[in-house]
Amino acid sequence: MSFFGFDTPRHNPAATGFSQVHNPFAGLSGQDNEGEALEFEDTYDGLGDQLEETNDAFNDDTFGDDSAAVKGPVGKDFDFFGQTAKVSNAIEEEHVRFQRQVPTARVAQSAARVAQQPFSQTVPAAASYNYPTQSVSKPARSGYEKYSQEPVEELQVDAALWGVAPKKHTAPAPAPAPTAVPAPTQTVFYAAAPSSAPAGRKILSLEEVEAQMRAQAKRPLHQAASSPAPPQPQVQLHQAHPQMHYEQSYQYAHPVQPQVNAQADDLRPKEHSYHLGQTQPQPVYPAQTQPVMILQRPQSKHAPSPQPPIQHSVHQRQQSATPAQPTQILQNPNRLSGDAAKLGIPSHPTPPTQINPPTHPVHRQQDSFHMHPSQMMVHPSLLGQFSEEDKVAYLDQEAKRAKRNHKIYQMSRDNGIMTPQDKNFITRIQLQQLVAATGNPNEHGTDEAFAEDFYYQVHNQIQGGHRQHPSQPLNNFAQTYLFQTGSRQGGLRRQHRGPENHMQRMEQQVQRAVEAAKNKPKNKQLVIEGSLGKISFSNAKTPKPLLNIKRNDSASEANRPGSAHRTHTLNGRDRKSELRSIELVYTTLMKMEDHDRIMPPRPANDIDTKAIHDFIAWNNEAQALNQQLWKALRVHDRPDSNNVHPFIALLSYSKGMKAMQRIFRRTSQEQRITILTLIVVNFDTLDVVRNAQATTGEMQLNAAMRENVELFSASVMSTLFNIMNELELNLVAGVLGLVCSRNVDVIAKSRIGVAMLTMILSRAEIIKQSSGGTADAWHSWDATYMQFFNLLEPTLPHVFPGTVNSGDDIYVWQFLAAIGIEASPDQQSRLVLAVKDRVMDTVTLAKTLPQDLATPRLQNVNLFMRSIGLDVELLQ
Amino acid sequence: MLFFSFFKTLIDHEVTVELKNDIQIRGILKSVDQYLNIKLEDISVVEEIKYPHMSAVKSAFIRGSVVRYVHLPAAAVDIPLLEDATRREASIHAGKAK
Repeated sequence: MSFFGFDTPRHNPAATGFSQVHNPFAGLSGQDNEGEALEFEDTYDGLGDQLEETNDAFNDDTFGDDSAAVKGPVGKDFDFFGQTAKVSNAIEEEHVRFQRQVPTARVAQSAARVAQQPFSQTVPAAASYNYPTQSVSKPARSGYEKYSQEPVEELQVDAALWGVAPKKHTAPAPAPAPTAVPAPTQTVFYAAAPSSAPAGRKILSLEEVEAQMRAQAKRPLHQAASSPAPPQPQVQLHQAHPQMHYEQSYQYAHPVQPQVNAQADDLRPKEHSYHLGQTQPQPVYPAQTQPVMILQRPQSKHAPSPQPPIQHSVHQRQQSATPAQPTQILQNPNRLSGDAAKLGIPSHPTPPTQINPPTHPVHRQQDSFHMHPSQMMVHPSLLGQFSEEDKVAYLDQEAKRAKRNHKIYQMSRDNGIMTPQDKNFITRIQLQQLVAATGNPNEHGTDEAFAEDFYYQVHNQIQGGHRQHPSQPLNNFAQTYLFQTGSRQGGLRRQHRGPENHMQRMEQQVQRAVEAAKNKPKNKQLVIEGSLGKISFSNAKTPKPLLNIKRNDSASEANRPGSAHRTHTLNGRDRKSELRSIELVYTTLMKMEDHDRIMPPRPANDIDTKAIHDFIAWNNEAQALNQQLWKALRVHDRPDSNNVHPFIALLSYSKGMKAMQRIFRRTSQEQRITILTLIVVNFDTLDVVRNAQATTGEMQLNAAMRENVELFSASVMSTLFNIMNELELNLVAGVLGLVCSRNVDVIAKSRIGVAMLTMILSRAEIIKQSSGGTADAWHSWDATYMQFFNLLEPTLPHVFPGTVNSGDDIYVWQFLAAIGIEASPDQQSRLVLAVKDRVMDTVTLAKTLPQDLATPRLQNVNLFMRSIGLDVELLQ
Repeated sequence: MLFFSFFKTLIDHEVTVELKNDIQIRGILKSVDQYLNIKLEDISVVEEIKYPHMSAVKSAFIRGSVVRYVHLPAAAVDIPLLEDATRREASIHAGKAK
């Protein structure tokens, strides 16, 4: 039934035992009573004093707090207690279920809380250990209700941890006994555990119940005398020693125990009733029928976990350590006994009235999850053995410790209230607010980001975009951008789920917030209301201005001495304003390109009014931009007197030339022809024509001009060529007529001019060969050509650049060939006469040159000769 | 961001990074970040005889602040695009300044 005469069921109480005061050495005295003469000094190895306990108070920080029920799952993180974790779900369920079952329990608990009964939990917890439903009557403190309410479910210990054979666990009650093992004197209990297990089983048997009932026959009497009201047994308990049940159990075994006082005696029967849960005189207990249920509890739950999983992790640690390192635990009797108390294990019979001084109740209550100050208490009997000095010193030490623990508790009361997730969440909210306040740079959409990373994005599209998305149109880079971000985030999302994703989002938000803060215009000065001065901020980038000189921008521009020099006057033109207008063209072009990107899909049908509307709006915008561009090009501007046309001026800059292709892409055919006309009309004023005249001497052109000529022919001429190739004959004739109206001599002596003329003539020839054009058009063409030829004839001998030796005249031969094809026989003979010298010189030169150099030159000449039906061969 | 954007396109191209201490390191650009820190692989120092301690180094991470020049592979630079990107960058900053 029980070992040493202990009433086993009563050894189970006080599952929580937070307020329970333990005498770590109480067991010694108990053994003393057993007749085993054990002195404290003999058994206490002093290792307990070596324990580093100064930082124990921070165990909460390390292992989390158990203050809230929500923290239950957190406890699982420290899987010191695998078995508990396994049934943790069941525990949670049980908890909820139980709370529903006994709503009145909470009332009682809250009442108890108000009463601030320091030891109130001890006995109820103990009772509930075996019979959970009895906790109803128990007063409990906040935060720990759970333990007292559902002790059995939660206290399902893995008995195997203690190496107890499974068969021993068949009894539900005794399992806590093994937990008592650690205490030095409790080794006895360890041995007793197996035997106590069947005892616990027996207690629930009918005979046992009857026996108990008989034994408690006098109980109501006592209760009436000692406890005023059944629901408040804690009052008595408070007065009594919290370890009273130990005492009682002890007394049970040894009725003649002299230390037992009357109060404990009075209480004893009542406690029995708690444990047994059968003779409850209080009808208010809703769970009186629970014992039956407990009897029927499946075997799997037999081994009651001495510790609810949500209990303090320190306890858990200790517990988990219990089976594995019994010696260690023996070295720490104080803590262990405290644990044992929490586990409701009757460890040592203790003289009830002396050990727990009423001065400590608050500490005990509050420090329940830390060290019990009273745990350090030496058994009074042992204390008595101390010298007076030692006693004082010891008590002093104890008081100090208690004070310290109290302080720590006060400070750490709120420890662990927020989980890391909570903190994370709060931080995110704060960041979101920050971002919202400063404006999210990302909310401008992809365009903003695109502008930031324009080069990379477009470059990627041009270079590598095809490889990745062959089907994707090149120009639609918004999609590319989307895909890139999508794949990037998607990949990460797949890889990091959970907290890392959190962290990533956090980082992003921080980055955004920082960016936003950066973008936000900073107020450089702070004027505090009511203050007499300003506070200027400074940082590395914008140092605090010592001098605050207001500068009028326009005035400074004009007054600056260098500005006059800086404005280059190139042939009486304002270089700066010209460059600026080119930039305006570019800006407009980029706007148009951006606009093209957001082109809505062409409405598929007439029903989709929104699409139609979008499309119309887009078209209107495109038109507006086109007009803007047209205006920026200044095609219709009147040139100032003596000055070149503003548009032609644009073409004297390399970036103006480069813009041509893009301009032509964004303009209508009509506009293109207008531009072509404008260029032709002003052809002799073009820099590349006017300043690149062919001379008879060696090449005079400087490198910059050569480069410009190259660029012009590559960018502008090629563009014009494309337009020219679409012109009808009458327009071609018109263009040629325009050329005739200008200084043909100048045009023909420049390489660009020659190329232009060649272009016009060859276009006419192509039209002729394709038998296009009307008779009228041909008539006007012939007349224009006649006029042109007459104008050109005097210049013909001078169109060749450089000397014969330079050999850079292929374009001239091409031009001559184009003229020759168009020319009438009469014109052809005049043509031959005009260029005869050059032809002869070239042929002569070719004879002196090596074969490989001579051949191309002769071929060039032949180009012209064949156009008029001759051949170089004839000349040789 | 323009430079960052630009250097990103040069990844996997060979560049020569000239440091402020006159060392020139040629290598394959592997990565660049917003501070223009540069990661090079397969590096070789241009004047190897002068910096023998670098001969065993095969890859390098160069802090952006110590870079004086980066010699670009001309073929890998899209000049018109870069011009436009510069314009955009300028317009963004002009917009911000206002």
